Amino acid sequence: MTAILRTEKLRVEYRSRDLRQATKVALNGLDLEVRAGEVFGFLGPNGAGKTTTMNVLLGFVPLTSGSASLFGIDVRQPIARQRIGYLPELTYYYKFLTAEELLRFYAKIFGLARAEADKRIAELLKLVELESAAKRPIKSYSKGMQQRVGLAQSLINNPDLLILDEPTSGLDPLGRMKVREIIQRLKSEGKTVFFSSHELGEVEAICDRVAILHQGELKAVGTVAEVSVGSDNLEAAFLKIVGYQPSPLS
Amino acid sequence: MSKIFALAGVVIKELYRRKDFYVLFFLTALLTLAAGAVNFFHDDKIVRYVKDICLLLIWVSALVISVVTTARQIPAEREARTIFPLLAKPVSRWHVIVGKFLGCWLATGVALVVFYFFFAVVTGSKEQIWPWGAYLEAVWMHWVMLAIVIAMALLGSIFFAAPSSTSTITLIVVGGILLLGTHLNTIALQQPQPMQSILATVYFIMPHLEWYDLRDFVVYDMGLVPVRAVALATLYGAVWTTIFLLLAWFGFRKKSLNT
Amino acid sequence: MKFSPLSLLFVLLALAFTLATNLTLTAGNWSTRAKSDNLFGMVFGDGRKLFANHFFTMADVYFHSGYYPSIFDQKSGEEKEIISASHGKKETEEDEKNEDFLGQPKDWVDAFGRNFRITQHTHLANHNEREILPWLRLAADLDPNKIETFTVGAFFLREHLGRADQAEAFLREGLRNNPDSAEILFELGRVYHDSNHDRERARNVWQLGVKKFFLRTPDQQKDDKLIFEELAVNLAHLEDEAGNYADAINWFRAAQKVSPAPDALQIQIDAVQKKLAALIPVTPAKLY
Repeated sequence: MTAILRTEKLRVEYRSRDLRQATKVALNGLDLEVRAGEVFGFLGPNGAGKTTTMNVLLGFVPLTSGSASLFGIDVRQPIARQRIGYLPELTYYYKFLTAEELLRFYAKIFGLARAEADKRIAELLKLVELESAAKRPIKSYSKGMQQRVGLAQSLINNPDLLILDEPTSGLDPLGRMKVREIIQRLKSEGKTVFFSSHELGEVEAICDRVAILHQGELKAVGTVAEVSVGSDNLEAAFLKIVGYQPSPLS
Repeated sequence: MSKIFALAGVVIKELYRRKDFYVLFFLTALLTLAAGAVNFFHDDKIVRYVKDICLLLIWVSALVISVVTTARQIPAEREARTIFPLLAKPVSRWHVIVGKFLGCWLATGVALVVFYFFFAVVTGSKEQIWPWGAYLEAVWMHWVMLAIVIAMALLGSIFFAAPSSTSTITLIVVGGILLLGTHLNTIALQQPQPMQSILATVYFIMPHLEWYDLRDFVVYDMGLVPVRAVALATLYGAVWTTIFLLLAWFGFRKKSLNT
Repeated sequence: MKFSPLSLLFVLLALAFTLATNLTLTAGNWSTRAKSDNLFGMVFGDGRKLFANHFFTMADVYFHSGYYPSIFDQKSGEEKEIISASHGKKETEEDEKNEDFLGQPKDWVDAFGRNFRITQHTHLANHNEREILPWLRLAADLDPNKIETFTVGAFFLREHLGRADQAEAFLREGLRNNPDSAEILFELGRVYHDSNHDRERARNVWQLGVKKFFLRTPDQQKDDKLIFEELAVNLAHLEDEAGNYADAINWFRAAQKVSPAPDALQIQIDAVQKKLAALIPVTPAKLY
């Protein structure tokens, strides 16, 4: 299967705020591959480097060394993002625009023709159940509605790769179920989903493969079963890999 | 280009959904009408002071609108985190810079048309003549000047996190150039070295925004500026605008944006 | 004892009101601004004079249609050449040369920049002089003690715009604020003489002007001798027109003492003396 997301010896350094350290290494030689059509879970404790990896893939942060590519195109080229959709963890959109205007704006960015954009917008608003609120400014939306707008905008270009940063964070059980359904539907359409999450139960249920990152290094990658070898479940495997030691009292 | 126009469209929508423009237009209109209503020596044909006051208010308002709107574009996107879903699309940082510039410039252009139209109506009602050629020339030159100012503010907004800092510094620089630009060579000659050389260098390399101020031509009915001069000034304005935009792009493309 | 926020608010308001009634009586003595009955005086204090000077200069700028030196165009070390709105004196070539402050372009930036500046020296004419009036009105309101505002304004109203009545009203306003001003009285006399052709009133006002002049200190008289000369010369012409040649000669001689061009006045004295001589009748006793 073709790798549509690939990093090779990816290294990212930041200037450190700690006077004793000149630079902080956020990612240290990450080799990662996501194949077409799979649902890939990207796991790790806070500060492991998951967000940094996504930031590099999306072009927000420059890499220090190594390479990263999407669909074989270097991530530094804007065209690499033509076939992706991105849902950030914290969803903030232009508050003075309506949901419809926002989607139309992003459709223009992708170069969608007017008729196609209209069709796509109608479908997405129906999918995320925002048809009745489509003409209201986003500043009047609740948090849940804003997250649904976020989901809609990530799908506006019918992406082949969806990058989701903790997609179920802050959602109620219904919302989480909706997101899971969408991920599974995309998979059935042959799309690729790459997402980070702390909800290991969810990851276990829907992911084809997972990777576990810790302190900027890839610690494990493979199917859930492969990664969980020697442990009861994925959570136990995760805790073992990141070196968690239970306290004597527990 | 469609990406740039899409970005510009969002900027224009934002400006006209905020209250700034309407407040400034209302103030300008109110002050102009108040000035025009005053009776000096029972002569209702006196009009130049109204033109002077109105044009001054238009210049101040347009500068405030353009600088304040531009200064908050990139910082507001970063603070509101709307920059991330935007840059996650196939949009380069150059597109963002040019799109923001174009949006601010077009929005300010529309504001200028409205302001100057009001000016033409008020003064034309008093003096019963409408020198449209002179008005169009004044509007065009004003708009070209604002292109330079907007590009300057955009450059500032890349380096200063707070929009208020960018606005203050840009307005001070622009005000300084407008007031002193013509005279800096004279001032330089009166200074001892090395200040003389420094001022002379600044005089030659700074953007001469004062060239674009044709208010005197409109107030004193001095006719048209030669078309060739206007064309060269437009080209000069385009060059400076491009320089500032390129510098803004150099600064922006290297910036890490962490989610 | 606890106060509720509302009762505390009432107590504070009552206290503020009580203090205000006490302080109002004494606050008026803290500054002249508080005593001012003029809105501009109240708002700006003595700073209004700066604005008045600026607006007077604006009138001059308007008279010259924007062709006006900035503070940077003034030659350093030399007396500031203020191009004031003309009192009707024809500008000589020397005046024109002095007023050409731009000179040759210093560099290509200056040369190109002149396309966007007013570089022609012109004066308002054909009743367009009205455009300077708002600035003179504002200058007068801001500083009623600036005499030049009234004299210049009245000159343009009378001479250029043909509105002698408004000129008179403006001058009378100036006189209310500056009752000892010989300059305003002189200009008022010109309204009566040149526009109203009322010699008697003109004479009265000009003679009053002379009296006001002599109320000044010797040093002030020395500095202001121009106004005395103008009063004296105009009185001389008035008496000449009225046929009072002896009085005319006396006034010309008084003017001659302070004039920078006494020879020109001597010519006028000689002309009036001829008229006087022609009037003296030859009595019968002399014939014998």
